[in-house]
Amino acid sequence: MTAAGTRTYTFQVNGMHCKACVFLSESELAEHPKVVSAKASLRARSVKVSGDFGDRPLDEIARELSAFLSEHSLSATAQGKHVDWDEFGVAVPIAIGCAALFVLLQEIGVVNLVSGDTVTYGTAFLVGVIASLSTCMAIVGGLVLSISATFARLGDRTRPQALFHVGRVASFLVLGGVIGLLGSAFRLNSTGTFVLSLSVALFMLAIGISLLDVFPWASWLQPSMPGFVSRRALVTANLSHTLAPALVGGATFFLPCGFTQAMQLYAVSTGNAVTGALTMLFFALGTLPVLALLSFTSLAVRTAAKQGVFFKSVGLLVILFAVFNVVNSLAAIGVIEPVFNW
Amino acid sequence: MKSMTPTIVSIAVAAVIVSVVGAIVLTRGGTKAGDTAPTNVSIVGENQIIEISAKGGYSPQNTTAKAGTPTTLKIKTSGTFDCSSALSIPKLGYQIILPPSGETVVDVPPQAAGSTLKGLCSMGMYSFTIRFE
Repeated sequence: MTAAGTRTYTFQVNGMHCKACVFLSESELAEHPKVVSAKASLRARSVKVSGDFGDRPLDEIARELSAFLSEHSLSATAQGKHVDWDEFGVAVPIAIGCAALFVLLQEIGVVNLVSGDTVTYGTAFLVGVIASLSTCMAIVGGLVLSISATFARLGDRTRPQALFHVGRVASFLVLGGVIGLLGSAFRLNSTGTFVLSLSVALFMLAIGISLLDVFPWASWLQPSMPGFVSRRALVTANLSHTLAPALVGGATFFLPCGFTQAMQLYAVSTGNAVTGALTMLFFALGTLPVLALLSFTSLAVRTAAKQGVFFKSVGLLVILFAVFNVVNSLAAIGVIEPVFNW
Repeated sequence: MKSMTPTIVSIAVAAVIVSVVGAIVLTRGGTKAGDTAPTNVSIVGENQIIEISAKGGYSPQNTTAKAGTPTTLKIKTSGTFDCSSALSIPKLGYQIILPPSGETVVDVPPQAAGSTLKGLCSMGMYSFTIRFE
């Protein structure tokens, strides 16, 4: 074996969007026996690799190094930062179709399927299922879609999504018990409700725009750890993929959704911690199938071509939901005339 | 062109869904409680009573009532768990979560002629309007 000189190669990194990914990619590439050093750049979506690979062609080296990356792949040729407008040809109809199905569910009066005067755990579960198909989907479902699509784009498809749902179900159980015990709900007044709905809507709007992948300036809209933090400790990045989704999931207890509020009122009226906890638990479990379906759709799209269309469709849908929520919140505090009236 | 196929298919599917939904929305729109039939308004002595039911929205959505009369608003719920149970009437500063089933009474002071009173659910997509004449 001859000691051929170490050369520097530049590769494009596909799907590297977050600051933590840069450090992760660098440390993963450094594990390759022939790599001397690796320096990734988020701005250029590229990585400079120094190493001794002999005279092998660039794309072969790219394939070999890709095997060392857990969440990204390398390509030898520059992909150029172009906007794939063709993807909107599919994404726009998908988003419009989904929005139309959402309108249809409201029009056929899905909320009228609940009846009965007594609330059993079965009723709570059924109310949960219907809540997840009602206009609450625009707020809770929109939030679920934004979060799961963001993590899916960062390459983390299952864990944060699962933790979101665990956090949500656990908080409904615990807080349901608390309000049952206290005999009073922590209720926001109309200003609090407005501020909360508006913040969630603006968050969704930001994520939606960033998911479209059209505006280069929009990349700062997506939540990320500052580079220096992730560089110091990958643990922090890990935390943001673990703790944050669980906390946000738990916080959905407070989101303004009529069904959730009605269930909470019932839990309060029981004046019993166990009944309150179980009622809210069954309600949360009822909402789980639809919400889980929303957050795990990203598992079905694995190829890069489908991903572009998927993220654009989700982005458009999330933007539509966000606008819907803003219009409704403004109507609720009486700033504008109600636009939707079902 | 082969690459155009997904676009055409998705546009076609979306067009079908939108036209089905559109048809349903339009046909239902005609029968919706847009009427102002005053069957939900009754006078008992000095008092005017307006009845509104809350379930999957408020019905009737539009009510015409007498101005300058003490008014009692009776809101009926029956198995109501949706947003219409989280009622707010901004003009009165009134906010309540209605019980799943029952009748909730709201006292409304005499209103000026030509004024309106609006009730909305907390998320804002259900509302009712009472016009005082």
